[in-house]
Amino acid sequence: MEIVMPKMGESVSEGTILKWHKKIGEAVKRDEIIFEISTDKVDTEIPSPVEGILSEIRFNEGDTVDVGTVVAIIDSNGEIKKDSSEQKPEVVHQPAVEENKIEESSKHEDKTQSILSNEKIESTRPSANISDSIDLQMPKMGESVMEGTIIKWYKKVGEQVKKDETIFEISTDKVDTEVPSPADGILSEILVAEQETVEVGTVVAKLTTAAKTTQISEPKPEVKKVQQKETKAEKTKKELPSSMHENFSSVKATSLEEEEVGNSSLNKNKSTSKFLSPLVLNIARKENVSFEEIEKIKGTGLEGRVTKKDILNYIEQRNNTKSESGETNIRETQQQIFDETKQEVLSSPSVTPSKVQAVYSSSEVERIPMDIVRQKIMQHMVNSRDTSVHVSAMLEVDMTRIYNFLKANRDEIQRKQGIKLTYMPFVSHACIKALKEFPLVNATIDGTTIVKKKFINLGIAVAMEPNGLIVPNIKNADEKNIVGLARSINELAEKARTKRLTPDDITNGTFTITNYGVFGTIFGTPIINQPEVAILGVGTVVKKPVVVEIEGTDTIAIKPTMALTLSHDHRLVDGMLGGRFLKSIKDTLESFSINEM
Amino acid sequence: MSNQYQIAVLGGGPGGYVAAIRAGQLGFKTVLIDKDNLGGICLNWGCIPTKSLLKNAEIYDNIKNHSADFGIKVQGLDFDFTRIIKRSRDIAERMAKNVEILVKKNKVDRIRGFGKFISSNELEILDNNGNKINSISADKIIIATGARPKVLPSIPVDKKFIITSSEAMVLHEVPKEMIIIGAGAIGIEFAYFYSVLGSKVTIVEMMDTILPIEDKEVSETLAKSFKKRGIEIFTKTSVEKAIVNGNKVLVTINSNGKRKELSADKVLNAIGVTGNVEGFGLEELGVELFKNHIKVNKSTYETNIKGIYAIGDVIGPPWLAHVASQEGIHCVEKIKGITVQDIDYTSIPGCTFCQPQVASVGLTEDKAKESGYEIKVGKFPFMASGKAFAIGEREGFIKIIFDAKYGEILGVHIIGSEATEMIAEAGLAKSLEATGESIIKTVHAHPTLAEAFMEAAAQAYGEAIHI
Ligand SMILES: Cc1cc2nc3c(=O)[nH]c(=O)nc-3n(C[C@H](O)[C@H](O)[C@H](O)COP(=O)(O)OP(=O)(O)OC[C@H]3O[C@@H](n4cnc5c(N)ncnc54)[C@H](O)[C@@H]3O)c2cc1C
Repeated sequence: MEIVMPKMGESVSEGTILKWHKKIGEAVKRDEIIFEISTDKVDTEIPSPVEGILSEIRFNEGDTVDVGTVVAIIDSNGEIKKDSSEQKPEVVHQPAVEENKIEESSKHEDKTQSILSNEKIESTRPSANISDSIDLQMPKMGESVMEGTIIKWYKKVGEQVKKDETIFEISTDKVDTEVPSPADGILSEILVAEQETVEVGTVVAKLTTAAKTTQISEPKPEVKKVQQKETKAEKTKKELPSSMHENFSSVKATSLEEEEVGNSSLNKNKSTSKFLSPLVLNIARKENVSFEEIEKIKGTGLEGRVTKKDILNYIEQRNNTKSESGETNIRETQQQIFDETKQEVLSSPSVTPSKVQAVYSSSEVERIPMDIVRQKIMQHMVNSRDTSVHVSAMLEVDMTRIYNFLKANRDEIQRKQGIKLTYMPFVSHACIKALKEFPLVNATIDGTTIVKKKFINLGIAVAMEPNGLIVPNIKNADEKNIVGLARSINELAEKARTKRLTPDDITNGTFTITNYGVFGTIFGTPIINQPEVAILGVGTVVKKPVVVEIEGTDTIAIKPTMALTLSHDHRLVDGMLGGRFLKSIKDTLESFSINEM
Repeated sequence: MSNQYQIAVLGGGPGGYVAAIRAGQLGFKTVLIDKDNLGGICLNWGCIPTKSLLKNAEIYDNIKNHSADFGIKVQGLDFDFTRIIKRSRDIAERMAKNVEILVKKNKVDRIRGFGKFISSNELEILDNNGNKINSISADKIIIATGARPKVLPSIPVDKKFIITSSEAMVLHEVPKEMIIIGAGAIGIEFAYFYSVLGSKVTIVEMMDTILPIEDKEVSETLAKSFKKRGIEIFTKTSVEKAIVNGNKVLVTINSNGKRKELSADKVLNAIGVTGNVEGFGLEELGVELFKNHIKVNKSTYETNIKGIYAIGDVIGPPWLAHVASQEGIHCVEKIKGITVQDIDYTSIPGCTFCQPQVASVGLTEDKAKESGYEIKVGKFPFMASGKAFAIGEREGFIKIIFDAKYGEILGVHIIGSEATEMIAEAGLAKSLEATGESIIKTVHAHPTLAEAFMEAAAQAYGEAIHI
């Protein structure tokens, strides 16, 4: 094996032999120091790349020779060491840009790589006269690209290939490209079939080169053939630059936009106006966080910058959301249910969780990722607020008749019918009557069309422990009497609590009643359950002193009173309609008679 | 001078005086109380006087050991130890005076005396004899009383033979033999100083390496260099006792069960510091402590008692002047209600000013691995730097630890000439969340030692040019 003067750095072209540590005829072990050199940059000791006998020394101590010159021969007893891993193509960081340089270095066939000083130097000079096999790998097409798909093999096994001739074509999520051969040879093996996707770095084929050694560089995708792919996903996601430089230039591009309006090629490459640290960019790239997402992250750094911590928190939140939805549990069904209820007016209700504004240390606050149900509720609420023009009208209902009725009959009804009557079925009943009277309140808005529904599916908001809310509805509620409604309400509530609601139970509601009175609340201003146009809030029944006129004289009487709130969507339901609707319910409740049962 | 204040700062070291000045700038009616000259340990008995001593040593070292390399002929080389000490004292004094002026300029009242709490918002001021000379009240009181050398019963400091850093910087002559117990920054700096001036120095350290908080490779490189100078080093060795016997101190050390007796003219106790938390009323108020330091919320610097804050050495490690100052500023700005980002305690540079210098920021290689990071390490030896060759400073290296996943800079470790200046770039890079690529692509001036920083990053990514 020939031992050459190693190259100690780009600018070093020669070296001086300071000292021979071994004599001719002496045995040397692998990694044992054979000689010491000095170059204009560094002094170092050169270890033997192989085990053997030092059979020849060609230069004396003090001689200065060019890099690459053979200075000694080690007879490795015919034992040819497989040449080390350094032969493997290195991972090249900037794809394609510095092609010339790489080609040039691959021309340095016997360029010996060396590592400095105290560290051992391994000669990477492949031994001659053996045909060599080169592994062709899935090339890395950018920092964030982790895998690629083989689109097409241009060569068959056994076929001759020339250096730089295209061997195969690949597709990644960023680009499609053709991969040229790094050397002349014969395609000896194809390991990955067309349409298969493999990780970057995976060996996809083997090339047998002729009886010549070649310093292999990574198959370089040809720049010209690289086509930027604009997938749909990317259009919305806005691709992150694959290097910091790109980013800087694109950031500049956006700031330029203001001055150079109409420079469409720049404008297309949207980015962010925020300063993002190289680390944040790297993380974003690796974790596929789009600029749009980053824009929404509240930065806690200097000048509101998004820091590493911020983006990692965001990713964690995002992952939690994902992993939870992956779990098969009751929640999932519920999520599904929610999804189905959505009948979303808005196409992309991606409400990003708002970040706590202030910077708190972890000792001051506990950060809990929202579960999926919470996130859905959040989305729903924000969506509703953003959709409907909420106005609330309130009135008080004198519940004396029903109060008295219940007092007198509750126990008996429970005994006979097995149902514990509350105020809710009465309110529901009155509400249904009002809905029939004012069908516009039982409608939906579709663009500029009013969709009046000929059926009444009455939604009942059910609170769920420890914290949650769901709205199943009573199908064709108008066909039921008060006891029937009571049954349905109990049934749905029970199903909700035991998590047995079916998607059918919670879809297609037409109007919702929410009974916050059970918590003792007197007044509320409920949020409309989309896509409905109104919601009735029911307060608790409290005894109140009220002024009544008995035989022409005002007196104070004690009355069980209930406040009702109608939140209605002013886009469709105006004050008059809302007021009349409420008044209708009030009248029904106040004039209750046992005949209605 | 009305004695009602919005902010009172107790202790005028780099923590306290900086806090007071910042408070003055922000318009608080502020008073700064210190029993001594302003500047605290740092200006009077720490950073500044030691750095001026070390410069003497460095010059002497260079002339003595390297003048021939540079073709400079020297005859009768000698030094005047008294002048060396005096220079250091003069500088400290000048600096302390400057601080007094700065404080006044920022409309901060200054009271000289020993401050003691009488309630959570009142302090009485005592003179040297313990007589009350004044008292003040303040809405907020910031404790910045610093720390002092830790003393163990087995090593009874008498300030004559067994000394601490304060005595070590004002000795009358260079000791023939000196034993330094503790190989942290302070011990190491004195080891270099006295070794250069001719003392036979022995270092005894309990941990595995000297400068135990630094990266192992750095510590080992420094140990090698020190040994070359003739400094004897015992690591993993504890001191069982130190006894003064005539004009000598006998020190019994124990290394893994093996005892050994050493003797020297002076023994420097440099085992660490302990917070100044006693004797000024903290116990009575119930201020919470841990391990002889005041416990605070490291975002607001408030103690468990409302309105009482603490900063600097008195709240515990890393016991560095720049940290004390930064904490002072943060504390006052938070009191003012300014939104500031918390101090990133993972990005604090630490420096040791011996030769070769040692400086680092962030995690060591071992710590990074322990923390579960998959790492990428880049290293560049100054031996491969043209500038280092030109100036004859080829010792040492720069080593950067990256997180392999996202390319974050986890730690930077420098040993070599000017390491303590070069670490600033690393600190900035780390705190601004630069990555390897950003360092590599930042053009560094040639020929400078700092190019090694770029090369070290490049080396991690297999792109180094000069190695
Ligand atoms: C030899 C040596 C070298 C060092 N070198 C460096 C270095 O190179 N770089 C570095 O960053 N750090 C160095 N340090 C550490 C640095 O000096 C300290 O971290 C820094 O001084 C801490 O500042 P401080 O304001 O918290 O406390 P101090 O500087 O200790 O100041 C405390 C002040 O409070 C006063 N005081 C205490 N109690 C009272 C009271 N009850 N009433 C009135 N006044 C009181 C004291 O008089 C003192 O002035 C060195 C330390 C030593 C000992």
